[in-house]
Amino acid sequence: MTRDAYVVGSGIIEFGERYGDSFDDLLEAAYLDLLGSVDGLAPEDIDAAWYGTIDIAGEGSSGSALAHATGLFETPITRVENACATGSDAFRNASLAVQAGAADVALVIGAEKMLDDTAGLIGSAALERLWRGRGVTMPAYFGMRATRHMAEYGTTRDQIAEVSVKNHANGVKYPYAHQQFECSVEDVRNSPTVSYPLNLYDCCPVTDGACAVLLASEERAREFTDAPVRHAGWGLSADSFQRGSDLALTNFPATRQAAERAYERAGITAADVDVAEVHDCFSITELITYEDLGFCADGEGGAFVERATLDGDTPVNPSGGLLSKGHPIGATGVAQVAEIFEQLRGEAGDVQVDAPAVGLQHNIGIGRNATGAVSCVNVLERT
Amino acid sequence: MSGPRYERTKRQDQRLVGFECQSCGWVSFPEEKRTCKRCGDAPADFEAVQLAERGTVETFVVQQYLPEDIETPQPVAVVSLPQASGAGEAARAYGLLTETHLAELDVGTEVEARFRELFSDGRRPINSLKFAVPRASKAGGEE
Repeated sequence: MTRDAYVVGSGIIEFGERYGDSFDDLLEAAYLDLLGSVDGLAPEDIDAAWYGTIDIAGEGSSGSALAHATGLFETPITRVENACATGSDAFRNASLAVQAGAADVALVIGAEKMLDDTAGLIGSAALERLWRGRGVTMPAYFGMRATRHMAEYGTTRDQIAEVSVKNHANGVKYPYAHQQFECSVEDVRNSPTVSYPLNLYDCCPVTDGACAVLLASEERAREFTDAPVRHAGWGLSADSFQRGSDLALTNFPATRQAAERAYERAGITAADVDVAEVHDCFSITELITYEDLGFCADGEGGAFVERATLDGDTPVNPSGGLLSKGHPIGATGVAQVAEIFEQLRGEAGDVQVDAPAVGLQHNIGIGRNATGAVSCVNVLERT
Repeated sequence: MSGPRYERTKRQDQRLVGFECQSCGWVSFPEEKRTCKRCGDAPADFEAVQLAERGTVETFVVQQYLPEDIETPQPVAVVSLPQASGAGEAARAYGLLTETHLAELDVGTEVEARFRELFSDGRRPINSLKFAVPRASKAGGEE
């Protein structure tokens, strides 16, 4: 016996280089923004909390870190860590508790301080194993998909760059985005090479951030808002770190599995999605994700970019995506959910798309030493 | 960086030994011992197979930004390595490239394995294989 869970509010802080803020400061600020933006919400309404972080800075700790930062003492708080899908999986877990009747009002907070200690980010990817991993960084894993996608489907370098151009054009209109600049295809191609064929502007920045979302049962949701957003479906897939030695060189099987499950649970198809926030850690990731989510056929991601603009028929990453907004890992998925929530309520300001009814949120994460090992997809619906 | 980590995979790293799942035919490289990472067979039955020293580039990048002890530009490829016997499936390895430039690389390029010192672990050299475009294929012998 399950019931529906609804998103009723969100709180976010400006993403960026927040050297002056501690982990606690980020959590506290996102939480206070949430409290201030949900009518009638008091701390004692919150039955349980889920806290997403991979704790790169070493300050995130356990659920007690969230209790300390927010004052939610004696509350059951669970820390979730699931690679780059950490935030979206924290959201999923909170929603499952509401659906199961274990909590009526559940808080989700994702946070990450990415800039305090970046050595671990590149070191673990680059140095672990002689063969699989020695010298292979995140831009390399994703860049290898770009090389192959171009060779196999004729996708052009410019089409890949167009993803970044689009997302930066959106990001300058989104107040919480880290990198507030527009760029052209030439700018992307002329930016320094990080890992051929990817240049600097094909890569998301390293960003601090936090975001909170509040979930509630239908009954409690109506106490807080007249326009709750239903969590209609979800899919999670944890593939092997090296499933069949990365047989999929031009796609991410985990996304395909997660999307199929999310669509089935929500009773929709890809064609029903009106707006999406997807994982664009690199420009090529978003292009491939169009295909993995079924927005277009395999090999057509390059052409699909022009249909993913704010006024296109399937707007993707109106918030600027990870490329512009930034990718504070634990916060990323929660912020994507927050953006879809605002879009479905018509509250997305300068990046609002035309009256969406169904929104999708997607992350893909890397396991120990391989691409695309974890994916989470959540579907939200206007009520 | 610790020595034991490299000791564990020495057989593959130095001798190009792969491990074939007797259930689905997937060739693991590096070694997977008890469960198959493609078909999920558990416990799986793996047999050691010798891999060929020549393979083809499935895809690649050329990295420019890496930790200090790795030289750049650093090409890295996913290389398909057939079994030396010619039977069964090829293994698929991530491999560093050496003596190879971006202009020489493409999807489908043939590369050969070369034994090299990769880096040192303290005072000990860590040796393994890198891949390179065969010298005979290089136009004008240019490196």
